[in-house]
Amino acid sequence: MQSNIGPTNQQGQSQKLMVFVLSMALFGLGDLVTELVPDIGIGSIEFGVPYFGFIGLILVMLFNPLYAALGAAVGEVVFGDLLMGDFGGLGEIEGVLTLFIGLYIAGLLVKNLNSKFSIAIAGMVGIAVEQVLGGLADCIKVWVGVEDLEAIQGLPESIVILELVECSMEWVIAGVIVGIIPSIILIPKLHGKIEPLLGVKPRQGAYSQVAAGYLLVVSIAVFVGATLFGVIGEAIEIGAWEPDFIDQFGGWFVWVGMAIAAVVLIITLLLRPKSKQDFEHPKAG
Amino acid sequence: MNYIEKLLTNVSIDSLKLTLLRTAYVKKGSFLAQFDPRIVILWYSIFAILPWFVHNTTVLLLFFFTMVIIASLSRISGFILVMLSFTTFCNLISIIVLTFFLGGDIEAFLAILTLTLKLVTVALASVAVFASLDPEKFSDALLSFGLPGQVSFGVSYGYRMIPILIEEYHQIINSYRLRGRIPKKKGFLRWRQLFYMGKIAVLAFYPMILNTAKRTRTTVEALEVKGFTYALNHPEAKKLKLSYLKVRTKDIVLLASTCLFLSISFYIGSIYPL
Amino acid sequence: MTEPIIQVSNLSFRYPGANEDVLTDVNVTINKGDFTAIIGSNGSGKSTFCKSLNGLIPHYYVGDYDGTVGINGKNTIQHSVAEIAANVGYVYQDFENQLVRPRVYDELVFSRMNFGFIDYHEKASEVIDLLNLHAIKNQYIWQLSGGQKHMVALASVLTMNPEIIIVDEPSAQLDPNNAVDIYKVLKMLNEQYGKTIIVIEHHTEFIANYCNQVLLMNKGELAWKYPVHKALNQVTDLLERNIFPPQVTQAAYQISPERYPYPITVDEAAKYFSTVPQYATATAPTEDRVNHSNRTALIDLQQVSHTYKTVDKSTKTVLENINLSFYEDDRVALVGGNGAGKSTLQKMLTGIQRPGQGSVLVLGRDTKNVSPEELSEFVTYIYQEPEKMFIADNIREDISYFLKSRDVPNHEAFVNDIIKQFHLEGLQDRDGRLLSGGQQRRASLAIGMAMRPEVILLDEPTASLDVSSRKEMIAMLEKLKKHVRVVIIATHDMELAAEWANRIVVMKAGQILADTNGRELFNNPFLMKQTGLKPPQITELSIKLSMQPSALHVTDFCQRLEHDQYELY
Repeated sequence: MQSNIGPTNQQGQSQKLMVFVLSMALFGLGDLVTELVPDIGIGSIEFGVPYFGFIGLILVMLFNPLYAALGAAVGEVVFGDLLMGDFGGLGEIEGVLTLFIGLYIAGLLVKNLNSKFSIAIAGMVGIAVEQVLGGLADCIKVWVGVEDLEAIQGLPESIVILELVECSMEWVIAGVIVGIIPSIILIPKLHGKIEPLLGVKPRQGAYSQVAAGYLLVVSIAVFVGATLFGVIGEAIEIGAWEPDFIDQFGGWFVWVGMAIAAVVLIITLLLRPKSKQDFEHPKAG
Repeated sequence: MNYIEKLLTNVSIDSLKLTLLRTAYVKKGSFLAQFDPRIVILWYSIFAILPWFVHNTTVLLLFFFTMVIIASLSRISGFILVMLSFTTFCNLISIIVLTFFLGGDIEAFLAILTLTLKLVTVALASVAVFASLDPEKFSDALLSFGLPGQVSFGVSYGYRMIPILIEEYHQIINSYRLRGRIPKKKGFLRWRQLFYMGKIAVLAFYPMILNTAKRTRTTVEALEVKGFTYALNHPEAKKLKLSYLKVRTKDIVLLASTCLFLSISFYIGSIYPL
Repeated sequence: MTEPIIQVSNLSFRYPGANEDVLTDVNVTINKGDFTAIIGSNGSGKSTFCKSLNGLIPHYYVGDYDGTVGINGKNTIQHSVAEIAANVGYVYQDFENQLVRPRVYDELVFSRMNFGFIDYHEKASEVIDLLNLHAIKNQYIWQLSGGQKHMVALASVLTMNPEIIIVDEPSAQLDPNNAVDIYKVLKMLNEQYGKTIIVIEHHTEFIANYCNQVLLMNKGELAWKYPVHKALNQVTDLLERNIFPPQVTQAAYQISPERYPYPITVDEAAKYFSTVPQYATATAPTEDRVNHSNRTALIDLQQVSHTYKTVDKSTKTVLENINLSFYEDDRVALVGGNGAGKSTLQKMLTGIQRPGQGSVLVLGRDTKNVSPEELSEFVTYIYQEPEKMFIADNIREDISYFLKSRDVPNHEAFVNDIIKQFHLEGLQDRDGRLLSGGQQRRASLAIGMAMRPEVILLDEPTASLDVSSRKEMIAMLEKLKKHVRVVIIATHDMELAAEWANRIVVMKAGQILADTNGRELFNNPFLMKQTGLKPPQITELSIKLSMQPSALHVTDFCQRLEHDQYELY
């Protein structure tokens, strides 16, 4: 009796479970480590590591992004927060969602694991989405939580500014310093080596849902942009502080935006020359 | 020996690990632990959501003091309370400074104070709940709320693995140290040594990722044999697993007294608004 | 009673993407109530064969599958893994990771609950009674020792009440006492409950004591299946495949291959050699203990005590008032049961662990004042688990890590030298984690040697190695003697201690019970009993035969019999 059993549904399921469990355990551990390392705080802006972005990024890029991102998000809550008894309530739930979306997008976006450029762009966009969504959620919370927010002189602006500064800080730290930089170093080392340990085939090229990924990015970007403008716009319109705010701090906002853009640009330029080669020989290495 | 090296000796890392394990594994006899986990989660969601929509300071103060009492009944570890108050304080200061800088006045100050009160109330509620809730029960509650079996398994598996993973991570860090070289020059604010340790902390995840992948394979294989997937596809198994969850009289009492507390608070708030 | 329970016919299997079959045309029948050992060298298909018995192959691992496996007359291909699990229980070599729940009791109810059996509580209590797990049933898995975890893994398998129990390499990951405990339990299950037991095992002494059937696998094929006595007497067959028969069997074979059958246990051997009239005493090498009185210590521990706090806020003493010195050319074996403080003592010398009280001086440096990084210039510590040694992405990088981080000029040549010396040429570009157990040990030793240490510390260097890799390891340790001033190994392996060490330090509960050598230790039954140590089989035999002084290894034993010109006929 010769029976050549192809990959069954059961098999696929268990590999997804493996990716989920792996991602959860590792991201959770990373979260614990960052939580135990004391942050240097200046006000609410912390010069600490919010989380190890690279762990999540590596896993979503190497494996099925959906399950890896889900695992990372669950791991973050379970290890870092729940078991430490440090559950931040509502903030946690929205944190799970934003982290999941950010990482999932990063995983879908990456096209070529041999290209540092591709990894860097996907990673930076993913973490940026996470941070923007998170900041937005915080603003909304304050907006709901403070009665007549718009009527209070100085408060809305300071909240928005603080969020902006905090998010950009976190983006630079979690997304770049302990995000894409370690990812770029570690992904080529792990690619092709870790997959057989789980009994999965190494990922080749883009994930099939890459189109969906772009769609998702675009839609979220539109959504985020719209809401952000909505909140700010509303605040600006209703608040009595519009003119001098723009005068005083309009430039400020521009600078923050430009700084982020500059960082992206520099990293892109730094990585570009090498990656061109990679693009020409996508199967090399 | 400088500060950083002192921080890295086993004495301090061991005590850190110990704090962590105590927080995660020693949860006995706290007030909220005696109730059905589903009821506790329900109770929690009331106090996590409601404060955001309440703008009456009297009511918020009543909420706050109740949470202080419940939190103190929950034997929260000092470490977490210190962290909580420190972050809150820093948040408060920075918003106040920035707001006044932007031309805010006493009205803004009061608004921020109210906001902080809400934040602290919610934080205390969550700390109290999650410091006393056994992760196993929590994961079962999630399952009974209809979350996927994998997520609820994730919670309990995390609970199982934490100490083992931390230990392994620590040993790998030691492995790096036993072969590496700590920079002799300290640099401004000891940045060289900080960078050295930071680099190790990140790089140690490379072996961790591979080692954990190896573990995961056996674990998932074992899950298959132990009928985990079978249970996912058979609702009666889930029912059996959750059969111990029962809403008893004291759970009802908790909910009822919460409702009573809420209505009294709002009543007092409407009579004596601050 | 010879009722077949497992019937394998024409079984072949190939993993997807592999070029060769892991199993080729295996035909075998295992009877109900047998206690079968499966032996074979690495990669002979032992584990794959066992996974085909519990249905993971072909249901979970896809690949080219041919033939049939019948369990109790049911063809595994027609039944799901879940159904087969009720008949076949499997304890992994990597048993720690098959425990998936936080607490022991949760683990014991998990399977039955998943399969929807209402009686999961009753069954769990039954198994707790059976294996006497009352003391640990409410503990967290992470709090358990290795032996306890293995017992829980077995218990969890038993809750499904399987007729067949497969245990993959029980003696490899456990210390000898725990392995004996597991075997005793398996024996009880086999004799009192009629369970069919299958173990993958390379320690032939356990096979001789507990099993009744032996199945030899060779390159995916079944070489033979014999009753245990006949099987272990196939000395040439076994040695050819790097499987070493019990020491007493080896001795009998070496002395006179013609006198067949050879004994396989100490008792049989005592009878076998009972005709020996008198043993040579003068021929025994009489190495005196090295006299330390007029030498300067390289390592000096003074009044070292160490405690740690446990989760339940109690304090546990790991080391208690240790005074100990190590000198040039010391080859020390630290022996003692689990929790004796061996590892902590070793870590004290690396500077990773600093003493709570007392002082540790290593080559004149007080470990309180220097970082582990600085001490690593002189002291190397080799972990028990090689996985924890592999921090780079290939062996070569791992070996040169130390030198690179110190910018040692021209280190490439030295690295090449080390790689050659440890026969790693073909493996240097591979990740350490993906190597076999023996290769991993070799690589981790090479990593240690590349640090050019004066003191080298090894934790259980021979644990979980098959016998041939173990031999290789001992040869490597012999080589170390030339390059290193002090070697200290912590070990459960009494054969290693007997053959290799010139000094044995016996520890128990954080204290030093004796500072001695092999012969004195093994001839001191009181001390042996107190620490739960068991001498090598050949030493046990020579003590039984009142050979004075007792033999420490097989060659020693044989030589002395030959010196007596003793006639065996």
